[in-house]
Amino acid sequence: MEDVELKNLWNSYDQQLEQAKLLNLQSWVLNIQTKESIQLMKAKSKLNKLARFKSRVAALGVFWIGFLLFLIVHSFTYQKIFFVVSASMIVLFNIVAVIVYIKHILIIHEIDNAESVVEAQEKTAKLQTSTLQIGRILFLQTPFYSTWFYTPAWIAQADWRFWMITIPITFFLVFISAWLYRNIHYKNADKKWFRILFNSPEWTSLLKAMLLMKEIEEFKKESMDAGRESEK
Amino acid sequence: MDKPLHQEFLQLIEQNKRIIFKICHSYCKDPGDREELTQEIIYQLWKSWERFDNSYKFTTWMYRVGLNTAIAFYRKAKNKESMIPLTEQHEEVADKTDGNRKSEEQLQLLQKFIYQLKDLDKALMLLYLDSKSYSEIADILGITETNVATKISRIKEQLKQNFSAVN
Repeated sequence: MEDVELKNLWNSYDQQLEQAKLLNLQSWVLNIQTKESIQLMKAKSKLNKLARFKSRVAALGVFWIGFLLFLIVHSFTYQKIFFVVSASMIVLFNIVAVIVYIKHILIIHEIDNAESVVEAQEKTAKLQTSTLQIGRILFLQTPFYSTWFYTPAWIAQADWRFWMITIPITFFLVFISAWLYRNIHYKNADKKWFRILFNSPEWTSLLKAMLLMKEIEEFKKESMDAGRESEK
Repeated sequence: MDKPLHQEFLQLIEQNKRIIFKICHSYCKDPGDREELTQEIIYQLWKSWERFDNSYKFTTWMYRVGLNTAIAFYRKAKNKESMIPLTEQHEEVADKTDGNRKSEEQLQLLQKFIYQLKDLDKALMLLYLDSKSYSEIADILGITETNVATKISRIKEQLKQNFSAVN
């Protein structure tokens, strides 16, 4: 099929659309006159939904950090040293997550659909892939959930169960969280374990975002290559 | 809400509604998703309308908002594998002569092949087929004109091969 034929075909499509009563756009546009429907559409808007979800998670994170800090402040004794260290580490990871979430909310409000497609999509895709990054970081706190109940006295009098069960569980969690941190990457998105771990509509959309990031990178790379070629 | 502002917006949307329709058809197979995307695009257009810079061409701005909304929407939509159906209205419009039937089939194939392209390639092809200049395409997408030319020739080649394979 030649270039002209392609364009002619597309023009015939355009003419069909001209003749057909294809969309009741007028009534939708008129609908947005009312404040109620604006509110409804705002509520339905995907990015607003994401911003609200992230705000709720950030608020929950702040509450969780506050609760842990309260417990830490009231546990400053030698006997509770493991609890203080473990909880402090969990607090640190959660502070990072809350900061990243707040940053995300700010980016969401900055996204302007009237920007160029590559620019706007890069922001949205980065936002989603950054969610994966923070997921990786949060996995690193897992081992500390298995150490907060240790006490120096318990270790001093530890029997075989401590060395054969408790310690191996902690090491196992250290190994698993480090492995996940290293391997949660879009390059592994086709692996079975990845699909089991992230099998939800949110993650599916995240994977699409990662593919788009790859596409944008290719677009930019080709753009630079084409620029160099034309300079020669 | 300002009435003249609203009327101007309504008029411009009405004049260019085919852009919205073509974007929705290229990014959504499912009629339900398409309707949702149409509403989302109109909402996004209305939201950006107050910031619209008159020095810009209206259709350039409309393509930017429409394509950005569609690509973001597509990422969230479920994968529903089916052939792109032409709308009922299309069927009413189409004459049933053999020539028209043939071109109707070709059009369906073209829509199918465009749907199969990657997000940004799809946007590029939509703009090219709508006879936008390379500089306008570059402006809408945010890439260089040289890149537009290279990519378009590559996609056209791919489309031609797809057509040869089925014809």
